[in-house]
Amino acid sequence: MAEFKMFEGCMIGNRIPFIEASCRKVFDKLGIATSQAPFSCCPDPTGFANFDNDGWLAVGARNLALAESEGKDIISLCNGCSNTLKLVNHTLKHDNLKKDKINQELLKIGKEYKGTIDVKHFVSVLKGELEKIKSSTVKPLSGLKVACHPGCHYMRPSEVMETDDPMHPMDLKEIVIACGATVVDYGEEVLCCGSSVSNAYEDHGMAILKKKMDAVKKVGADCLVVNCPACFQQFDGKQRDLSKKFEEEFKIPILYISELIALGMGIPADELGTKFHRTRVSDILEKIG
Amino acid sequence: MATDFEFRKQVLDMHMSGVIKYCYQCNRCTDYCPVAEVTDNAYNPRQNILNALLGFKDAIFSAEKIAIWGCTVCDTCDEVCPQSIELTEIFKLLKNQSVINGDAPDYYYLQAKTIFENAKAVPPQPAIERRRQQLGLPAVAAPDVNELTTLLKNMGIDKKLKGE
Repeated sequence: MAEFKMFEGCMIGNRIPFIEASCRKVFDKLGIATSQAPFSCCPDPTGFANFDNDGWLAVGARNLALAESEGKDIISLCNGCSNTLKLVNHTLKHDNLKKDKINQELLKIGKEYKGTIDVKHFVSVLKGELEKIKSSTVKPLSGLKVACHPGCHYMRPSEVMETDDPMHPMDLKEIVIACGATVVDYGEEVLCCGSSVSNAYEDHGMAILKKKMDAVKKVGADCLVVNCPACFQQFDGKQRDLSKKFEEEFKIPILYISELIALGMGIPADELGTKFHRTRVSDILEKIG
Repeated sequence: MATDFEFRKQVLDMHMSGVIKYCYQCNRCTDYCPVAEVTDNAYNPRQNILNALLGFKDAIFSAEKIAIWGCTVCDTCDEVCPQSIELTEIFKLLKNQSVINGDAPDYYYLQAKTIFENAKAVPPQPAIERRRQQLGLPAVAAPDVNELTTLLKNMGIDKKLKGE
């Protein structure tokens, strides 16, 4: 497999780096090679794109140009980043007027967007390595009941993301099954985590989060697995506030899919930095043994 | 309610194929919208599409902020629309205009300012840099902040930001 440019994104790189740690360890075991580049913010498809569309296209195109200059595809650890980079790539490939306009701006800073590389979400790369994941799993996670939340921008808008079924996603489930764990369906798999609306309307984000966590709790899942740092922060970071607000215990451990795979590979939890989770994961660690 | 034809042209230009004109107000977007559900339709994607299509600029921008900014950008409406209208693209146009009007929620101005000044939505912090080291991670490759700020300045983004 050719080397990728790693796009860890602002949130993982500068706020919750333990997620990058598990991703890198899993990539090493599976032989997925990466290198760094001085990428800026992608920028946020739910924030900056709504602020100024052309500015968002230009910053995204500049990031793509950085990877293009080395002729390497990008591997993203985040739904938001892969959504932005794929949307920008798609837009500029299909709209020559826009592409010319953005390139006029990039030219002033000595860059050019050509449209020669692809952007991959790490989950769709892992989806192509199911056999390898199976054979590197030394601690089968049998008996662990896992609820899956791939997050909106892993597969939507489907015409651009080209990963999974937009309303019945399977990729994340297949990876969980390859690790030997059991997938439990909870009926709200494609519901948004509520993170984006929370930025301006906290209460509405919490109401959506409640609906999601109620469903996960009801089926008795041992944990909820995610592949997006914004969703992770919403589920892991806001769970305590949710409990306070609705006077109800949830205590549902949240794992990044890379953490689940790494645990199955026998990588010790302290090397993964699981102690930095806000919602305790000790129950699952005990269960895995 | 008056139609603003310039605004209507902007909306139609988002869809060169004119697909938005085939919206028959079936309400599927709103039925599936997670925010419409928890706000009792204070956020209503179907209504936004209708107002945009008819060029009712005043109705859109003089309403409560949540009528535009309640969108959580989950792209569910795009997927369930029987006419394949990319609603989220239209909503982005409305939000961009709301930013220019100076009416967006504070968060969006703050995030844009952070990106403008740091080239990252989450700037580096010493405590996290140390944590990266403890976890055996390489330092984050630092972006060229000057270059990014120049790019955004050239495009007039600085003029859309709000004061300190």
